[in-house]
Amino acid sequence: MRRVVLSFIVMIVVILLVSFLLIAMVGSDIPTSLVSFLRGIGGSTYAMAEVLVRATPLMLAALGVSVGFRTGFLNIGSEGQIYLGAIAITWLGMTFPSLPAPLMIALALVLGSLAGGLWALIPGLLKAKFGLSEVINTIMLNYIAINLVGILVRTSLKDPTYPYPMSPMLPVSTNFVQLLPPTRLHVGLLLALVCTALVYLLMFRTTPGFCMRAVGLNARACQCSGIAASKYVIISALISGALSGLAGVSEIAGLHHRLIEGISPSYGYLAIIVSLLGRNHPVGIVFASLGSAALQVGSMSMQRSSGVPTSIASIIMGLVVIMILSRKQLFGCKEA
Amino acid sequence: MPTLRMSKIDKQFFGKMANEQVDFTLEKGEIHALLGENGAGKTTLMNILYGIYQADGGTIELDGKPVSIKSPKDAIAHHIGMVHQHFTLVPTLTVRQNITLGLKSKGYPFVKARKLDQSIRLLSERYNLAVDPSALVSSLSVGAQQRVEIMKVLYRNAKLIILDEPTAVLTPQEVESLFIVLRRLREEGHSVIIITHHIDEVLAITDRVTVLRSAKNAAEVLTKETNEEELSSLMIGRRLQKIERKTLPFSYARKGLQLDSIQSKNGSLGPLSLSIPAGSIVGIAGVDGNGQKALAEVILGMQNLQSGTITLDDTALHHLSVKARKALGIGYISDDRLKDGLVLDMDLKENFLLSLYRKHACKPHHLIDARYLQEATEQAVSSYSIKTASLSTPVRYLSGGNQQKLILARELGDQPKVVVACQPTRGLDIGSTEEVHSILLDLRSQGCSVLLISSDLDEILSLSDTIAVMYQGKIMDVIEHGKVDMTYLGLLMAGSKTRRIV
Repeated sequence: MRRVVLSFIVMIVVILLVSFLLIAMVGSDIPTSLVSFLRGIGGSTYAMAEVLVRATPLMLAALGVSVGFRTGFLNIGSEGQIYLGAIAITWLGMTFPSLPAPLMIALALVLGSLAGGLWALIPGLLKAKFGLSEVINTIMLNYIAINLVGILVRTSLKDPTYPYPMSPMLPVSTNFVQLLPPTRLHVGLLLALVCTALVYLLMFRTTPGFCMRAVGLNARACQCSGIAASKYVIISALISGALSGLAGVSEIAGLHHRLIEGISPSYGYLAIIVSLLGRNHPVGIVFASLGSAALQVGSMSMQRSSGVPTSIASIIMGLVVIMILSRKQLFGCKEA
Repeated sequence: MPTLRMSKIDKQFFGKMANEQVDFTLEKGEIHALLGENGAGKTTLMNILYGIYQADGGTIELDGKPVSIKSPKDAIAHHIGMVHQHFTLVPTLTVRQNITLGLKSKGYPFVKARKLDQSIRLLSERYNLAVDPSALVSSLSVGAQQRVEIMKVLYRNAKLIILDEPTAVLTPQEVESLFIVLRRLREEGHSVIIITHHIDEVLAITDRVTVLRSAKNAAEVLTKETNEEELSSLMIGRRLQKIERKTLPFSYARKGLQLDSIQSKNGSLGPLSLSIPAGSIVGIAGVDGNGQKALAEVILGMQNLQSGTITLDDTALHHLSVKARKALGIGYISDDRLKDGLVLDMDLKENFLLSLYRKHACKPHHLIDARYLQEATEQAVSSYSIKTASLSTPVRYLSGGNQQKLILARELGDQPKVVVACQPTRGLDIGSTEEVHSILLDLRSQGCSVLLISSDLDEILSLSDTIAVMYQGKIMDVIEHGKVDMTYLGLLMAGSKTRRIV
């Protein structure tokens, strides 16, 4: 127990030292930078809302990643699935602009999760049927999805009145309700929290969830018990992709209201880290996504007011992950 | 002066004593048995000697000089060699490459293969260990692989040789030739330690016996001054009651499990036919790796059939999924409980859920009923007396015997019609083994068709109504209980059918 506490203290000290060193290296004043970092996170209602806004897609995508990881489906393709969700809602909004808002939102959620789910189903089927590595396939599908958006915003989904590669503004009926104007906080956060609860119930309270977890831990023993392992790999791929697809829908419906290139600044990859930090558990993921969102939002504020580049956030994130993963070995912690 | 003296060895694992004040002495040029039940601490003691574990307390003296053995490398430097129960050979390399693995011979890195072969041949002639240095290890029989392991040890100039359960995977004939090798080693002045729990082997080959019981010394006796009864009561601390297998006074009308000229898809099994009527135990004798596992898996549905049929009371099974077959009442005890039987990182309740999850009672409103699961698990834990800290302990932390009992409770608890039991008592102590045997006999009298696959011939002989001998995926012959001739059985196990004595 003492070692566990010690290990966390050492980790915090290392992170602070490295941050100070990096801030000093770019020639900024450490106290001012720190203050602007903290202000950026909690200095105002707007700042706090910004953290929640950032945490929303991370939470949804990380929940998806965790469902896959628990079943042994290593979904690195959350990024691509987010793009597919975004394409789905854009297409819907542009094709049927006159639908009433409740129907529009419901359809957007269904289509977005389907698009993401089917995108993940491809590597899921390839893994379940032929044993092909889902890691490679999901990464490849990321490239395809990202560039597909690049093509779409220049062609069929392009705003004809505008010279830049982006879709037109979508009808208001596609927009999520804003929760706390004038901040950007939107109902996507509630969607993410509802999904958290649902994923918890599914994975830890129902038999399909149990089967998925068991398959992830020992597929062979499951097969010997009559659990069709490949079936659950496929189901988990679908759910995993669907949650990431919802993240894409939420980003468009809640924030951008149009499809642009780079709609996700690597949320899909960050989601993998968030899921790992949250120990692939829904509750852990809520906190991990809040933490990593705060780190990002704070570092952006730090860049604005003291000129420290935001890449410091990525460096710290990488450091945190390596330290958490190696913590037990480095400090010899034995946890039951 | 003894060649080895280990005194007051202590070793703890996670707060449990594996060795407690254990003394062990070995005279030069003797074959010494280390006898005890599974979990008595035999292998731990020898792993300490071989440097795999470090003792928490106690001393080791070799030829009167205290030594400290920190790794197998130190042990080899002290001329100690160990042949592990699970062989440590590289199957894709040749015998020579395996024997010289990690050693730098003259002229390194350029290997003088012919010269090495020569020295290996010399060694093999000297000890009656017939091996071809240029053969691939993967092409060798288990007995030959064991000879390679012994050669490996001798090639490193071991004077003290430890063999961990050497006979577990051998046919009776192979055991005989192993004994010849061991006697030869003794003549050449080597000291040999055999770890075993088979008393008949101890009496057949050894000079002296050290008995361990629950991590402590139970006795040290001269083999010629002891007998089977004394050893068994030393080993288990009480007299052993032999299970009585009675002929059933009635017979079941149901046909039970019928295998009709089945052949597995990957070709490792069959064609073979076998009948396991309701209320009978059919034992499969054979050297490990002769298709027994494939036989179990085609019955369960883990492997597909190329041709042939499997029926249970006239219901065809062979096109059904594992799930459907289990629902019809097939219980499966795998020989590899860690890979096939349990999810190690889940707790007892969840491992129980692996079979319960199909039942409606455990998910009345689509959500898992935690209390139902708790009660079902509690009941199984108490009726099979599984020892665990709590029901929420990951099964990884259970002992092998308790893990096995958990599987038994799960697979046999629901009145199965067919039980496929692969090595059901492997890793169990004698007490638990007796329990398993009486459970299997109970199932038989309740009308269950039991397929018993075991490398323990005694187990097969004492329980089975009929004994089928498997060799290379086929059934050599089927012998009635009571009409067994050991020589014939051994020949069948080795794949020869030439001599038939009835």
